[in-house]
Amino acid sequence: MSDQTLPPDGPEEDEDRVLAAEYALGLLTDEERARFEERLDTDAALRAEVVAWDEHFAAVILDDVAEVPPSPQLAKRLQTILFKPEKQSFWQQIWPYGLGGLAAALVLWLSISTGILVPEDSRLKPDLVAELAPTPDGEGLVIRATVDTTLAAVEVVRAAGTPPDGRVFELWLIAGDAAPVSLGLLEDGSSTLIDLPQDLLAVLPGALLAISDEPPGGSPTGAPTGAVRAAGPLTSS
Amino acid sequence: MTPQEEVENLIARVAMGDRAAFNRLYDRTSAKLFGVCLRVLNDRVEAEEVLQDVFVTVWNKADSYKVNGYSPMTWLITITRNRAVDRRRAMKLPPVPIETADLMPDSKPGPEASAVAASEARQIKACLDELPRARAHLVRRAYLEGDSYADLAQATGVNLNTIRTWLRRSLMALRECLSR
Repeated sequence: MSDQTLPPDGPEEDEDRVLAAEYALGLLTDEERARFEERLDTDAALRAEVVAWDEHFAAVILDDVAEVPPSPQLAKRLQTILFKPEKQSFWQQIWPYGLGGLAAALVLWLSISTGILVPEDSRLKPDLVAELAPTPDGEGLVIRATVDTTLAAVEVVRAAGTPPDGRVFELWLIAGDAAPVSLGLLEDGSSTLIDLPQDLLAVLPGALLAISDEPPGGSPTGAPTGAVRAAGPLTSS
Repeated sequence: MTPQEEVENLIARVAMGDRAAFNRLYDRTSAKLFGVCLRVLNDRVEAEEVLQDVFVTVWNKADSYKVNGYSPMTWLITITRNRAVDRRRAMKLPPVPIETADLMPDSKPGPEASAVAASEARQIKACLDELPRARAHLVRRAYLEGDSYADLAQATGVNLNTIRTWLRRSLMALRECLSR
């Protein structure tokens, strides 16, 4: 078929067909495309024309384009992006520990009162204690916090586990429905002593302590940004 | 189950949040879709970024597949090609030159003739063969490699309006052939 057999300007229907093809190929200018898409919203025949072109072009692509396997890392990246449960909210992550903490406190109280577990020698005379149970993201962590309300201080002892490379652990207090309050960062050593603000002392019993991992220097937002690694409620010792 | 039904089935299950189905869909289609990205972008790193973006879209938008009337592979290929073309334009990649000699109108069937699949579904390739070879080449550059009118004008040294007229006429001729 030579060019001469086609009229330079076809009837309106032909014009739409060519426009649909140009749209499918991404050949329209931004302005032309916007106008065309406006018409697509209301014109089913035009939509069908675009689908028909896409089907034809895809048929050639299916036939002519060679398969090339992407690198195996891409599949792994997608698993992380799509399926890693880090999209859970802070609250979703910690709520089981609020409940489980009561049982843990009971076990702890039994251990201490029966002499199985003697509290480590501490600078504090603790009246509140929290066993921070590891979350699935915190496997291997053994963290215990003791509070001396008279001195207004909390000592966090990390018996096992370290933050991921390039991250630090941050300690949070969650009292009732209030937003988490940062109490400070855990030091590299096994024990960290942190002063508590006076105004928090009253809400401590029953409040939840939680550890999240954060960038060096701590959460940039004032709220936990990394995964919660361990959590547990403060109970009377 | 035909391969088409299989892919359709997998997309339907991905729409319901079935991760195993997503992984199978990936195994089944990623090599073809990566080929599409590579053809447009000619760069593995860029092509993988686009492909990652495509599969994130597939996971999030699989439920919209049914309403748009595409066959399953066309849906996947169209998303992929369009994303790759968007990326190519954003990168302002220079087009691969086209020899002006290739553009001389002639009535001989193009190289497509030998590549026509023995299959029934390749009507469009038969129709491309009816175009003058040079015109068929421009059309193929536009859809396989994502060349814009400006790219094709730059690649050939032919003025943009002429390129546009050539391509539009070719598309009209193709459309006529396809509806026969």
